Amino acid sequence: MNRKFLLASVIILSLGIDAFSNKSKDSIKQNIEKIELKNLSVVDYPSDKGNSIILYFDKDEKQKNFQYEIYLSTDSANWIKAKQAKYDELSASNIEIPFWMWNKKRNINALAIDVTKVFSLQEDDYFKQNPKGFSVYAKVIAIGDNKKYESQIVKGIAKANWFRIDRLNNLVLVLIISIVFFIIVSRAKKRELFIRKIAGLEAIDEAVGRATEMGKPVVYIPGIGSMSGISTIASIFILGEVGKKIAQYDATLKVPHYDPIVFTVAKETVKQSYIEAGRPDSYREDINVYITTDQFAYAAAVDGIITREKPAACFYMGYFMAESLLLAEVGAGVGAIQIAGTDVDSQLPFFFTACDYTLIGEELYAAGAYLSKEPMLVSALKVQDFGKFLFITFAIGFSILLLIFSKIETSYAEKLLDIFRVR
Amino acid sequence: MNIIKKYIPLTIVFIFGIITLASYYVPHRASDEYLEWINKWENIVSAFALFLGMISLFYSHYKKIQRKVDGWGYSLFVYIGFFIIMGAAILSKGNISKEGKLTYLGWSFNNIFNPLSATMFSVLAFFIISTAYRSFKIKSFAAFLLFICGLILMLGNIPLGEIIWDKVFGWTKLTIGEIKDWIISVPSTAGRRGIMIGIAIGAAVTSLKIIFGIERGYMGKE
Repeated sequence: MNRKFLLASVIILSLGIDAFSNKSKDSIKQNIEKIELKNLSVVDYPSDKGNSIILYFDKDEKQKNFQYEIYLSTDSANWIKAKQAKYDELSASNIEIPFWMWNKKRNINALAIDVTKVFSLQEDDYFKQNPKGFSVYAKVIAIGDNKKYESQIVKGIAKANWFRIDRLNNLVLVLIISIVFFIIVSRAKKRELFIRKIAGLEAIDEAVGRATEMGKPVVYIPGIGSMSGISTIASIFILGEVGKKIAQYDATLKVPHYDPIVFTVAKETVKQSYIEAGRPDSYREDINVYITTDQFAYAAAVDGIITREKPAACFYMGYFMAESLLLAEVGAGVGAIQIAGTDVDSQLPFFFTACDYTLIGEELYAAGAYLSKEPMLVSALKVQDFGKFLFITFAIGFSILLLIFSKIETSYAEKLLDIFRVR
Repeated sequence: MNIIKKYIPLTIVFIFGIITLASYYVPHRASDEYLEWINKWENIVSAFALFLGMISLFYSHYKKIQRKVDGWGYSLFVYIGFFIIMGAAILSKGNISKEGKLTYLGWSFNNIFNPLSATMFSVLAFFIISTAYRSFKIKSFAAFLLFICGLILMLGNIPLGEIIWDKVFGWTKLTIGEIKDWIISVPSTAGRRGIMIGIAIGAAVTSLKIIFGIERGYMGKE
């Protein structure tokens, strides 16, 4: 009996609340007045894959204390609130687009909206169902002076774009470097270029010679990067040159691998090096050994190889993470001459402390050219020098300009920074 | 033969290199789909390469056992470990857990693999100490600077360091934290950025060399 009474009370109460809320909704509807927001527009967000729009309208000084509610709809009947913001929170400068695409100084309220998030759409389905763009209606409800004002309804389309104009700065830089690259490489054979001595690469002969004299192996570790990594590609090139020297000296080489693709490529490279050195008979299938694709298991296995075989020389060339010190310290422990090279700046200090020679980043990339002495490859090093010269000039010149502009006109300083921003 | 071993790979690298470079500037969905497609191909090639890798692994350890070289007993553990884990994976149908309980595979991961990995990672702490000891030997002015910076960073990271600093150098009105932050944010960051700029330019030029077939180290040799 009591339960029935309780249930009836709950139903009556809920009906009452519902009736009250409907009534309050009606009263809000009645209180909403119409307002014409000047230049209210919805435009496609430029340089995106088609899931965003920008809504904007002119600022009105009279609405300084207003709040805006932005509503979106796909059919102009069912509205979803996309954002609620104060007058100050909507400005052109909030849109993260560079100055060559968007005037951040315009006196407008602007907001970038990801429509997939507002309508809770799955990205894959969204793009499949709307190949020609996603039509969206928008309206703004301005709240202020104890009243609500509803704007006119505007329509826009979120479309997929084919070019990231915001990365134009990057493209220009790539084009400059490419043009310089072609000019320098095309003149490669005309004159011999000077390359400064790289101690780490000069020491390769010493390391291989030492291994030969001691009758101990050389361990070459190509890191834990995949074949698509530039440092791994550079490492494979160095392996080829090291392999050739080892074949000439008739020393023993061990190359434990982390990545199976790198393993197959390295196998071919080493085999070819032995052939080029005129010692194909010395090549053995177990020079290159695949270990595992687990970082610490790989480190444990290589540490085991170094501890058992006590190599005379260890090379660490390529991409390394936490295992760098685990390997280099064990190598130092067995007294091997150690030459390392990586482009992972966080691992360089470990190699500096545990190895005899370390190639820093770009020296690793230059190693191929340095060892082969091939004119085309050597000339490409000049492009690197040109790039560095360009950066140093920009860094100094633009720092001075930035200081001047920040004192005179800050918007110029912002534009200057926009040129160098990575997007 | 030259066509198969040289020109076809170079053409493939050129075409895919240019398309991949262009995809960086194309925000369209087609660009994402292309990269996904390339990743799938990389995974397929990896699977085949992994198979070759396993053959190499077993072959090299088989040879060690056959020749009874020093430490050939360790090679036995490669086979034992491989077949035990593979057996566990087959029995568990590749699942780590089932109905909230660990399968054989899950158990071996939790109780064998993870502790071994953690042990290897922990060894790093001891190696850092021995490396630090070696690098802090003051043999030159540069080594002296390194030692001073290292000492300040170590003191700055521990409360005891702050107390010692305040007692000894309190009169300078500088805190150890301020000096530590300055070292990290000014000279250290400047050095790192220099290296990073060199690496970025080097990577861009190396990429161009690879795309246009000037650097061919990845193809083996001609």
